[in-house]
Order: sequence, then C-alpha cells, then structure tokens
Amino acid sequence: MSFESKLDEGKFVVTAEISPPKGTDTSGLLKDASIINGFADAINITDNQRAVMRMSPVAACSILESKGYETIMHVTCRDRNRIALQSELLGAYALGIKNILVMSGDHPVKGDHQGAKPVYDLDSVQLLGLIQKLNSGFDFSGNRLDGKTNFCIGAVTNIELNEIALMKLEKKISQGVRFIQTQAVFDIEKFSGFLDRIKDSGISRSRIIAGIIPLKSEKNARFLNKNIAGIKVPEIVIDQLKNASNPETRGMEIAARLIKELHGMCGGVHIMPIGNHEKTKDILEMAGII
Amino acid sequence: MIISSQKEFKEILRALKEKNIFIIGCGKCATKLHVGGEPEVLEMRKKLTKAGKNIVGWTVLSSACNISSWDDVLAQNPGIGKSDALLVMSCGGGVSVISSLSERQVYPALDTESLGGMRLEDTMKELCRMCGECTVWEFGGICPVSQCPKGLLNGPCGGAMEGKCEVDERTCAWDEIYERQKSLGKLGNLVIVHEPRDHSRNKRGLKV
Repeated sequence: MSFESKLDEGKFVVTAEISPPKGTDTSGLLKDASIINGFADAINITDNQRAVMRMSPVAACSILESKGYETIMHVTCRDRNRIALQSELLGAYALGIKNILVMSGDHPVKGDHQGAKPVYDLDSVQLLGLIQKLNSGFDFSGNRLDGKTNFCIGAVTNIELNEIALMKLEKKISQGVRFIQTQAVFDIEKFSGFLDRIKDSGISRSRIIAGIIPLKSEKNARFLNKNIAGIKVPEIVIDQLKNASNPETRGMEIAARLIKELHGMCGGVHIMPIGNHEKTKDILEMAGII
Repeated sequence: MIISSQKEFKEILRALKEKNIFIIGCGKCATKLHVGGEPEVLEMRKKLTKAGKNIVGWTVLSSACNISSWDDVLAQNPGIGKSDALLVMSCGGGVSVISSLSERQVYPALDTESLGGMRLEDTMKELCRMCGECTVWEFGGICPVSQCPKGLLNGPCGGAMEGKCEVDERTCAWDEIYERQKSLGKLGNLVIVHEPRDHSRNKRGLKV
C-alpha cells in the first residue's frame, strides 16, 4: 500500500530521512535504505540540506524507487527558477517519484558554496501552488502538459510558531497540501499545543507527521539547540542525557517514549537520525510501533 | 540614495595599471555617505601619490550619474586630457555614465551595494531591489524582496532563531512586517497569497 493510501486510511506512518551522498558512490545510501526496509513507509530524500552540495534528490530517489522503495523527494526553492523546478518535477514523476516535500531551503551562506546565487524565484507557498497546477495538467504559464503529474504534496513546519509563521503555514495548507512533516519534537505538550493551533486550518491531525531526532549525547542536544532553527530540546531532557551511563541508549529511550505518546495524537513519525539508521528499528520496537 | 562603500585600497591598486590618474568624486550619495566626496577624493589622491601614481587632477562633480555636457567637464578639468585613466568615486551608475562619455579607461573606486536611504543620521541599506512592480504597501512599507535575503513574499521561512535571520544578525523582516501591519490595523493584507513575481518587469539585461 502506498504512503498516500496509508495517510488516506489514517494509518500511523513511519518515514525516515536519508541524505544523498556527497559524491557518486551510492552504496551508503542503499545500505541505509536496506536497514529500514520493511517498516519505513517512505524514505525522505533531502535536497542539498543545510545548503551543502550533494547528489541530486531526483537521482537518489530514482535509484531507490528502482529498487522498490517509496520515496518522498524534498524540493527546495533555493537553487532553481520556475523553469528548472517544473522540468525537474516532470522528470521526477516520469521516474516514478510520487511524493514531494516542499520547503524554502537553507540560504547558500549556511552551506559549503557560500557564493552561490540564491534563487528563490518561487517561495514554498508558490511552489506548492505550482505543483497543484502540474497535477491538474498545466504548467505555470497555463500550457497544457502532455501527461500530467499526480504528486502527493507535503509541507514542513516548526511546531513553535509565532502569528506570522502560522499565517504562512495556513497559506501552505491552502495550496493542496496532503501531509505535513514537522521539525523534531521533544516536548509533547508543545506539540499538542501546535495541533490545537492548526486544528481549524483545513488539515486533519492524521496527516501531521511528527519529526523525531534520536539524541546521542548532551553535547549533541546542545548543538541542535544552538544551531538548528525550530529545535528546542528542553533542559529536562538534556539532564537525562547528562546523567545517563549510556547517553545513546538514553536518547533512544527518549525517542521511543515520544513516539509512543505521539501514536494516537497524529498521523505518524518521521525519523531523522544523526548519522545512519542503525538504531531506527530498535527505537520503533521500543516504542511498540513495529 | 545609492549605498556604496569604498573598495579596499589594494584592490584599487591592483586594477589601476596606468600612471597618470584623474580622480572624480560625486556630490550626491557618495558625498553624503562619506565615500566619494571631497575629503575622500583628497585622501585617495594622497594614498595614490604615496603608491607612486601621478595624480594629474581631481574634481567632485555635482552628480556623476547626471552629466549634461562632458565638454564642459573637460573644459573645467584640463587634467582629464593629461590622464591615462579616470578613477571614479561614485556608484556604478556614475561610473557607467562617465565610461560612456570618456574615451579613457574608467575604474570604479567604490562597490555599489543597494538602493537605500538616510533616516535622520541612520543609513538604511537595501530598501529597494528595483524589481519593477512595487507592492510595498501590501507589506506595511517594509519590502520583503529587499529586506528578506530569500525575497519571500508569503511569509517567513523556518530559518530564523530568536527572531534573527538565518543569514546574519538582522531581525527577521517578516516579524517587522507583521508588527507594522498590526500597528496599522492591516493584518488582513498578510492573508493574501502572493503570486510569483514577473521578472520580465525587471528590465535587467533587457533593452528598454
């Protein structure tokens, strides 16, 4: 059953994030995918995340699709104008990629090609609108497509939103969004508050997929708090890692407990490990999901 | 006002191969910003002389980007005729106008950064990107095309931390837009889904 059908039926989905290689060697990508084979409903493939140049997500998704994995291809607005975006989306669909996750994309100055031209010809709301148009059989300029797309489109969000960020999320939802994947959740009460705030936005909570980052150490948690927008690991969680005899195992337990609590609250979880997916299966088993 | 800053002196020297140099300042924005007015032109003359150049003359035009008669400029500045090259301390507009009028090699001494302004004593940078379709009123007079490094029209990205832009220390433009619209009682403007901009309206590189 496809990722989209599972969402439609209200099943609790598990998605897992993998970055394409920095180079042409796809063995790491394939190995990581094989580790989560069988219990991940779809694999998210990032688009040069943090503006660090890597293999194209179209290529990485296509390689995985050809091996029978279902993928969610990230598409950022950072690097391509509306012509390139459409061209790539048509190609992706023809290669069997059915799910797209749209985001603005980290600015080039955050990454390893700081002098690159920041494109942002479209923003995430406009890109979602454009994909809806491709889905209806027309390009941006209104020309009829010879074969339309049928993408299941998703958007991203932080869970602590000020008023203007909430307005932006509502605009995204108005553009045909079928699912939302959130930044990492560490505080169930805050996540619950987020769900309350968007309850009238036109998307059901069964289509909200909560982000999970299994923490590895106190240092690791503090790094995320300092450097990654939208992530706030509470001090109480950091203390648990600090006092643990094995911080990595403690981090897995924390992640498993969060997943257990999220089960029933929202539509699924999205696992974004630091490094590879070696521990993902154990965490999901500890959470009683698989 | 065009916001410019002086190039590093060593960068100017690297480009400036000629010996006999005439320096031209600008009486408008570059003077106001203290990057190409008389004191800066005189300072440049001093530094270039020390670096072994022969400064055959200098002037500060009332406006380097608005020259009604190049013949008048030549008549009033005979030094230009004795020079091998002109060093222009104005924005790119002035440098280009002078390049188009003079038969000599023209070098810029400034880097042009943005279209901004001065508010009391504050220099305000990047107020306008000259996109050719002004809708700044929809954003409470704060232009996201120029103030947000991603030029996002429909609200903030998720990159700001504690209200600071992910690119540098500036406040997220969208927080400012929200506060401004709130104080104007026009939050309704923020609900509008803005279409992508029409870049054909921006005539860059197109013949007008």
